[in-house]
Amino acid sequence: MRMSLAQRVLLTWLFCLLFLIMLVLKLDEKAPWNWFIIFIPIWIFDTILLVMLIVKMAGRCKSGYDPRNGAQNMKKKSWYLTAMLLKLAFCLALCARLEQFANMYLCFVFIPLWALLIGGLTELGINVFGASRD
Amino acid sequence: MLFSLRELVQWLGFAQFEIFIHVSSLLVFSVLVALKVDGVAHGLSWWNVFIPLFAADGLSTYFTTIVTVRLFQEDKRQAVLRLFWILTILSLKFVFEMLLCQKLVGNTKELWYGLILSPLFILLQLLMIRACRVN
Repeated sequence: MRMSLAQRVLLTWLFCLLFLIMLVLKLDEKAPWNWFIIFIPIWIFDTILLVMLIVKMAGRCKSGYDPRNGAQNMKKKSWYLTAMLLKLAFCLALCARLEQFANMYLCFVFIPLWALLIGGLTELGINVFGASRD
Repeated sequence: MLFSLRELVQWLGFAQFEIFIHVSSLLVFSVLVALKVDGVAHGLSWWNVFIPLFAADGLSTYFTTIVTVRLFQEDKRQAVLRLFWILTILSLKFVFEMLLCQKLVGNTKELWYGLILSPLFILLQLLMIRACRVN
């Protein structure tokens, strides 16, 4: 089952909107909630993405799957899974820092984000500069 | 992941190279924020921290101008539509960055976060409308 572009956009839009509303309420001190509660739309969105990704990866294991050209696809999926976990780690570390559960430097909080951005930039760079060389 | 790069380009209206510039600026910005908040770079003001984001907006505008001029010779309507869309997106992003920077720099009590984030709310609605059109 593959979601259409409109469905995927709607999903992203809905969770972004909910998160922004909760963020504004928290920052303007209208809602005295915990930062982990403010991030609930992000947690739900990430869980949906992770489940979708894992189901797709598990689909390779079922009988009758044609493994030709699958190695490249699997590599891509593994990178996506790593990226999702890095994003999750960043959000968790950020919440812990904002709630002062862990008194650590912001540099350490940002390490998963930097890894994610560098990975994304590498993939994007290959697409941009690799394609222009061809 | 959720969107392929082609879908993102189609939806956002930015070229791949522009997305590359914005992601790079975000990376540099996050490094500068970490340095500023951790107290490593004492002389760094908030305006300096936001320079990568402003630079990305400027570069993107320049790139858009060039693309528009070239596109104008082939398809005038598409060139004008593209220019309007990109300039709207970039100006909303720029207003958000300016307001956030002002809030971080000074004690502007009248500048509440609902107001600062309002360009992002408008941006979200515009992106939703564009997604319906693209689809």
